[in-house]
Amino acid sequence: MVNTLSKAIRALAGLSMVVALALQASAADAQTRSQQGRDKGVYTPTIWVDPDGCEHWVMDDGAEGYMTPHTNRQGIPVCRRGNVCGVMNSDQFFATDSYRIHKSGRERLAEFFRSTGAVSYIITGHTDSRASDAYNMRLSYNRANSVAAIAQKSGARIADVRGYGERMPAATNSTAAGMAKNRRVEIICIR
Amino acid sequence: MINTKILLITGCAFGLTACTDYEGGLGRGYPSDKTVDRGIDKKHLSQLQAGIWVDPNGCDHWIIDDGVEGYLSARLDKFGKPVCSGVAPPTQTVGDFKGGSKIRDPN
Repeated sequence: MVNTLSKAIRALAGLSMVVALALQASAADAQTRSQQGRDKGVYTPTIWVDPDGCEHWVMDDGAEGYMTPHTNRQGIPVCRRGNVCGVMNSDQFFATDSYRIHKSGRERLAEFFRSTGAVSYIITGHTDSRASDAYNMRLSYNRANSVAAIAQKSGARIADVRGYGERMPAATNSTAAGMAKNRRVEIICIR
Repeated sequence: MINTKILLITGCAFGLTACTDYEGGLGRGYPSDKTVDRGIDKKHLSQLQAGIWVDPNGCDHWIIDDGVEGYLSARLDKFGKPVCSGVAPPTQTVGDFKGGSKIRDPN
């Protein structure tokens, strides 16, 4: 009785393996007409670097071309160089917790925007990791807006203004020097 | 799409340059290596010459007309957000994006 049962189980196991193999085969067969050519549906891309310095996947399939940005799994583009053309050290432009820029700072910024002559600018504010995330998001956005207002007054076009708070650190927050580096407003120049 | 194909095949029949892009390709298909442009304007795809196309929302895309192939890919900033530079009004193109290929096509 036990013997018969184990035989039955073995037969069943064998059968399920056959079914599994058949399923695998049918997955391969499920390929469409598009995978029947010489390439068997394998499309190996290369890299094209755009004028900003960022990479794109690109493929030429005879009479068709395909292209899409090369990003990492977090959606951040893979770039060989950056377009950050100015990093303002917040300590030089703002008092602690303030988003008001003093007079000499305003003049320096206006001169920067007048002489740079980019098509437009993206302004992003950043803080160190002290205080709450929500507070830092608000402060960094307010500071970015202060810079954007000066840019606009100097005749520059602003593409976007953002506050990233403490979420995009440029350095470690475990040293005083690192935290000072994180307190910044970045200016991206779009050429 | 079907129209384009017919146009290209007719082009081949009349001996226009566009058909050279089909060399070794028609019927048998191309190998998996899609990293080069074959035919008379052959080159590695890293040499493509782009311009900007502004989408209806006002955001920039890299546009390339490389003879028989067209390419379009989003312009992103370092945070992965679309770049909406305002360089031109929506649907307008900027720059010599057809300049990278000597193959002439109607558009």
